[in-house]
Amino acid sequence: MEALKLDQVSKRFGGLHVLEDITLSVGEGERVVLIGPNGAGKTTTFNLINGQLPVSSGRIFLFGEDVTKLPVHARAQRGIARSFQISSVYPNLTVLDNAILTAHGLRRSRFGVFRSVDAYPELMEKVQTALDHAGLWEERHEFVKNLAYGQQRRFEIALTLAADPKLLLLDEPSCGLTRGECGDMIEVINTLPRGITTIVVAHDMDVIFGVAERIVVLYYGKLLADGDPATIQADRRVREIYMGVEEGTERVGGF
Amino acid sequence: MTSAGTTGSHKAPWIWRALPLVLAAAVLVAMPGLLPTFMQRMMSKFLIFAIFSISYNVVAGYTGLISLGQAAYFGVGGYAAAVLMVRYGIDSLWVTALAGVTLGTIAAAAVGPIVLRVSGMYFLILTFAIGRLGYSLTWNLPFFNVPEGIQGIAGLPRPNPGIPGFQWTELSFYFFVLLVFALAMFLQYRLSRSPFGHSLQGIREGEMRMEALGYNVWLHKYLAFVIGGAFAALAGVLYVFMNRFIEPADLDIMRSFYPMAMVIIGGTATLWGPVVGAAAIVFVEYFSSILVPQRWPLILGSLFILAIMFARKGLAVYASDFWSKAGAKLWKR
Repeated sequence: MEALKLDQVSKRFGGLHVLEDITLSVGEGERVVLIGPNGAGKTTTFNLINGQLPVSSGRIFLFGEDVTKLPVHARAQRGIARSFQISSVYPNLTVLDNAILTAHGLRRSRFGVFRSVDAYPELMEKVQTALDHAGLWEERHEFVKNLAYGQQRRFEIALTLAADPKLLLLDEPSCGLTRGECGDMIEVINTLPRGITTIVVAHDMDVIFGVAERIVVLYYGKLLADGDPATIQADRRVREIYMGVEEGTERVGGF
Repeated sequence: MTSAGTTGSHKAPWIWRALPLVLAAAVLVAMPGLLPTFMQRMMSKFLIFAIFSISYNVVAGYTGLISLGQAAYFGVGGYAAAVLMVRYGIDSLWVTALAGVTLGTIAAAAVGPIVLRVSGMYFLILTFAIGRLGYSLTWNLPFFNVPEGIQGIAGLPRPNPGIPGFQWTELSFYFFVLLVFALAMFLQYRLSRSPFGHSLQGIREGEMRMEALGYNVWLHKYLAFVIGGAFAALAGVLYVFMNRFIEPADLDIMRSFYPMAMVIIGGTATLWGPVVGAAAIVFVEYFSSILVPQRWPLILGSLFILAIMFARKGLAVYASDFWSKAGAKLWKR
């Protein structure tokens, strides 16, 4: 079944067309990397998928269900988890508290008042698995603000895992990381459970070709190309508008 | 989510960590019996304001909704109990208390959808405006069978607990308040440790993220606001029982400001912050008004400024940090 389907989705801010007529479907368990130059509409696409922004037209389906009109939290309840471009974990809470908060989000227990947050055994197991995955279980009592930057970024992904997502949206997970940390990040993404459909926005070539099974190229609000990494790499238009510039090779074409 | 404390490796044994709680309980239980009656009354007042501060702590401390209208629910609770007693001759403690808390909670539940349309500064202004509305309503309540208006309702009886032959004294009333206070503290403790309480703190730190995690942020904020209203109404009912008088000034902006000041001085979003803050303000206000009758607000104001300048996190936080550090040092060797 399709995990996600965008059906002729457009987003306009006044007269500005940020996304035009995007039709895209992502199968369950696929690893998709979304690329495009700055302003191509990558983050906006994420915002539309998880409901942060309403669509101007078109429809969005999640596992066959039309979620176009649902608010952010209702879509999260249906399995969309998202990491943000800017680290947005809670810096003044410990690693463990952050993870527990995330894990409660999708459960009835989020309204619970009679038990302590950490008195839910199967949930704590989930939290431990998620933190282990990011190699952060040892640091669980540390305040997030005291973690190294690379650890914080990995922690974000671990957090989204604690929520048991079906569709994971990662916005520039390697943003601001050193080369070594970037390698760790690719490792974390590649070892995510196969059942989780993952869409990654990325600029970094290592990340793009390190995790992608399929690459979708956005260019000024339009879907320019969609295919496996080799096809995209060979695509002349993509080379012209994106990779050519990014790799610093000779510019072809007129921009 | 412990308050800024030591997550260090040297933890003092539980007996050291429990000692402040035991001492506080001992003082609250044993001391009032040794005090003159007017001081017993001050102790009751202190605990009532501590409960009122818990209301503010839930709404503003944990959830981050800076409200300046908590006196409205305090007032609804108080007026409901008072009107039942003098107009309808119902003096049962249980009926008046239940009615007061219920009506105060309903008032918060009705106001919530209006004020929660906005946030931040606008939320503060809107809660202030609605608090102000409650204040002006009390000026003119003939349609609620309360023609006294600005004069307030005086001569209220002590509520009847329904125990044959029971007579209230300042001391027995104090113990009644202490019991309710202990219950309120327990509820606040459960709330702050629970998933729901943590979700409120998450909302305070960043709403967008909480939504992305699947939390219905609006609903959680609304529930926090209503819970806060219930605590405020409870304090209002107790206040009427103690004071046996209620007037429009009890719904004034100053009344809303008290719990805010108490929580800030004591420690925002901490368990004991509201209590420490209430003690500081109630007793400083009392003693300074005896020492310098004309100028006591100056002293209270200075205390407030000093606390903001030198004890930002609140007195309770510094005290508990000091205690756990001392414990860590003692048990290191």
